[in-house]
Amino acid sequence: MPVTKVLTAGIGEADLRDISVYRQRGGYKQWERALRELKPSDVFEACDKSGLRGRGGAGFPTGRKWSFLPKDVYPRYLVCNCDEAEPGTFKDHMLLEETPHLVLEGILLGAYGIQCHHAFIYIRGEFKRGYEIFSKALADARAAGLVGKNLFGSGYDLEVTVHRGAGAYICGEETGLLNSLEGKRGEPRLKPPFPAIAGLYGAPTVVNNVETLAYLVPILERGWEWFAAAGTERSKGYKIVSISGHVQKPGNYEVAVGTTIRELIEIAGGLRPGRTFMAVQPGGQSSACIFEEHLDFPYDYESMAKAGSMMGSGAFTVFDDTTDFVKAALNSIRFYAHESCGQCTPCREGGHWLERVLHRFVEGRGLRSDFEMIKRVGHTITGLNLCALGDSIEPFLLSVVNRFPEQFESRLVREVTTA
Amino acid sequence: MNVTESFDFEALAKELKPRCEALIAQYEQPRSALLPMMHLFQEHQGYVSQEAMEFAAGLLGLSHAVVESTISFYTLFFRKPVGKYMLQVCRGLMCELRGAESIMAYFREKLGIGHLETTDDGLFSYEEVECLAACDRPTCMQVNLEFVYSLTPEMIDEMLAAMRAGTYAIEPLVQTAKPERTWKLRQDSEVARGGKSPGTLSATSPNNAGGVGDPSGVIMLDSFVTKDISFTGRSRERFVRDARGVAEIIEEEGQNGHAGH
Repeated sequence: MPVTKVLTAGIGEADLRDISVYRQRGGYKQWERALRELKPSDVFEACDKSGLRGRGGAGFPTGRKWSFLPKDVYPRYLVCNCDEAEPGTFKDHMLLEETPHLVLEGILLGAYGIQCHHAFIYIRGEFKRGYEIFSKALADARAAGLVGKNLFGSGYDLEVTVHRGAGAYICGEETGLLNSLEGKRGEPRLKPPFPAIAGLYGAPTVVNNVETLAYLVPILERGWEWFAAAGTERSKGYKIVSISGHVQKPGNYEVAVGTTIRELIEIAGGLRPGRTFMAVQPGGQSSACIFEEHLDFPYDYESMAKAGSMMGSGAFTVFDDTTDFVKAALNSIRFYAHESCGQCTPCREGGHWLERVLHRFVEGRGLRSDFEMIKRVGHTITGLNLCALGDSIEPFLLSVVNRFPEQFESRLVREVTTA
Repeated sequence: MNVTESFDFEALAKELKPRCEALIAQYEQPRSALLPMMHLFQEHQGYVSQEAMEFAAGLLGLSHAVVESTISFYTLFFRKPVGKYMLQVCRGLMCELRGAESIMAYFREKLGIGHLETTDDGLFSYEEVECLAACDRPTCMQVNLEFVYSLTPEMIDEMLAAMRAGTYAIEPLVQTAKPERTWKLRQDSEVARGGKSPGTLSATSPNNAGGVGDPSGVIMLDSFVTKDISFTGRSRERFVRDARGVAEIIEEEGQNGHAGH
């Protein structure tokens, strides 16, 4: 089976939370090498040439994101986004709790790469245990002289601050996160300016996902050529895929980007006996479903876009023939209605509107005109908001309404014929 | 800690002030320490009290309104006392696909309370929450923010029994005041909209009628009704059309002026 353990190497075998165990396995060697031998531009170049793209969902090339920072403007900040809350995604949760030093080393390398002296990690409020584990790892690293002033005698100072959220999906959106980190409501900002120009405290800021930053460690260790050799033409390297739903062995599986949908389902133990495949949601709750005809598509950014969906954060949910797609759609919509921050009218009102329409269907009181209503409301939400949350409401719903109309038809209110 | 009628907030504030100042020192701008400070107070007082927000406002040079507006954005801050065990069960789609609905129904039955409610003895608070990022081990939950995975009815029985007996592995939350039925304030959207557990929604639930898409044209009346109303024997739709009934309630509640929120 094509599972490749890079970031996930050692998880479940060794206690990677222990700094001495992590160091015995070669941990913090790249950080030491960076400070002793490499220029920040070397780290940037390795990141850029590897083809690494943002693993938090948007898939934006990481090197390009860094390159948007204006030259010679300081202070600047790196913020590691560990506000993992996209339904179906549970990779950062695992990395944070199981291999916190790898996460930290990634942050240190990223901070050096963009030449900042203060980095932050924003941890989802629910990850209290992960927050404690990471805080301990940071304290151990500080005691070992890996974080602080004049590191390895290089004259380079770097401080890392751990910040805990308090329950809000929208804080995973990078400008919502920055507002939250500034002690404000986690409402996304109007863009531009993008964080690279005016981010945390108005200073140039890079916000990168946990997994993205962690990949910097093996990229420096093995060379950008190694990373770029895996994957597909435009989607390079490896990816942790969080597989859930109707498979026999749900879990996090690290694979080369471009592994097919069919292979991923097999890696997770396949479907349960006697069940048939109905759909996969390949990129978290925000993504449209893909179906049987897409089983041999490679799992990469481009192919998922071609299939009408997206790779997103790598949340891969499998649905078999036991699925009630009407209820699934209601669950999905209810999530967005609940998590909308309320700034933009289309998202705030549209989510609740669709939720009510879907309640009608679940209760067997759907109206034929609701099909039209779903499309109209959906189109009224998409593309008209400050951030992408609103755009995430429609894709799953529309994909299942179009694919399984009979499930919705069977929930229409019984038509009364008058004599 | 025992529930005391008059909690000595001044003493707590004095004790925590140095830690708050250390938090502020971590950031380039003091306001960044607001969330960490409120986590600290909630840990020691069991909830984020008005006094705690007042204290933070003073320390950070913010108005109370700004602090409260910020804190109200975050679901993990409880602005009123909660039970000693905060049971937060995942209602995300991935857990639902693997049986979360029956787990939630079991919890509600065993606890005798619903979503966002606290038991009369102040021991349990129950909430159905969004995806907790543990979809490989459904149905998952958090007890006082510690994960519990792959729930079964047997596990729930054992868990609740151990909590009642005071032998459960996860520490109870600090409780410094007796909790009410819910820790949510009226203006919190989910309560204002009549939020109910997914399993208990029915044609007569306030979440359904009176919405923007309601063909009857009755829009969001919930926000004007500040009193919990039992719709026993009368459907909500009939109720909202009963202008007299509504007028009575608005009249009765008029003093409170909740319509202005």
